[in-house]
Amino acid sequence: MEGSSDAVIVSRVLRGDVEAFGVLVGRYRDRYARYAFHMLGNREDAEEALQDAFTRAYRSLARCEDPERFGAWLFRILINRCRTLGARRGRRAQTFVVDEVAILEAAEDHPAERTAWREEIDRALERLRADQREAFVLKYVEEMGYDEMSELTGVGVSALKMRVMRACERLRELLSEVHSG
Amino acid sequence: MADEDDVMMKKIAQELRKPVPVSTSFDARVMRAVRELPRHARRRLWSRLNAPRTITVQPLGWGLLAASVALFALLGAMHASADINRVAKASANFFPKTKATTPDQRVQFVLVAPDAKKVSVVGDFNGWDAQHIEYQAQHRGGGVWSVTAQVPVGHHRYSFVVDDSLWVADPTAPRVVDNDFGVANSTMVVQEQK
Repeated sequence: MEGSSDAVIVSRVLRGDVEAFGVLVGRYRDRYARYAFHMLGNREDAEEALQDAFTRAYRSLARCEDPERFGAWLFRILINRCRTLGARRGRRAQTFVVDEVAILEAAEDHPAERTAWREEIDRALERLRADQREAFVLKYVEEMGYDEMSELTGVGVSALKMRVMRACERLRELLSEVHSG
Repeated sequence: MADEDDVMMKKIAQELRKPVPVSTSFDARVMRAVRELPRHARRRLWSRLNAPRTITVQPLGWGLLAASVALFALLGAMHASADINRVAKASANFFPKTKATTPDQRVQFVLVAPDAKKVSVVGDFNGWDAQHIEYQAQHRGGGVWSVTAQVPVGHHRYSFVVDDSLWVADPTAPRVVDNDFGVANSTMVVQEQK
């Protein structure tokens, strides 16, 4: 079943084979964990959002209109979960939690330099407005086209381009401050 | 300047594209949460009951009923000594079957419906979909319709659909009235073949 298409697995789950859903979890977990991590800033929140997205997807699976594109549908759910969780946390005190594990794992080549560089990026990303961060991550990290981004987020292409541009400007500004400071 | 900016964005993106592994217990946690949710077959049952459909009771219906009663009586005589569990298994296993390499088992469904133009099987194993290609019965002659199809191991509810309009419970199997919707379906237990 590992090699089956998403549509085949979705069909099995809809026929009552709950365990088949585990294949979809394994298939999309890693890529989407990365997105959630960048949007929420720490591993614990990212896993909470991702788990929530998977369980919501399972519950609403019968409403997945194109099972062959289950991944895109799940991603849309995750984007919304990250928005909700991010907004909830935004109302709390803004304290950036550095994920030490992620930094260490990202620092294999030159530990000291790469850790510092990664930390700077994470901090700068965290300081972006949520809508700009979302657009930037989809464009540059997930490498999506604007049409696909628009379909996923429900935001117009022009607005997305503007958000990406603003995000890039802000990141340059923030990271230049670090290097010049 | 623009080139430098572009290089910087690429370097940032390169860093951010590195994998962010989840904890080793993540899959187990998700599946535990999913298993606590209702199985989808029930949701489909609700959809089926809500879906607009036409149920036509015609002379065919009476013919079917008579045929079902006759077949039930015949099988009842053959299995007079069977207890309720045995009958439940018989509904899935009574007819020749089973060549299983996966957890799914081959189960033969049979209905006597002399006047039918089309017979299909619906159940929690096919989303109660009367158009499912694998569950369309063939006319074998003498009003006997049958289809052999894959069904997962476990307890199932199912029914026959005649001419896309008339729902007929399997006369050879126990029935259960769904508490939520008041509809009678047949039940069966499919066991893994050793």
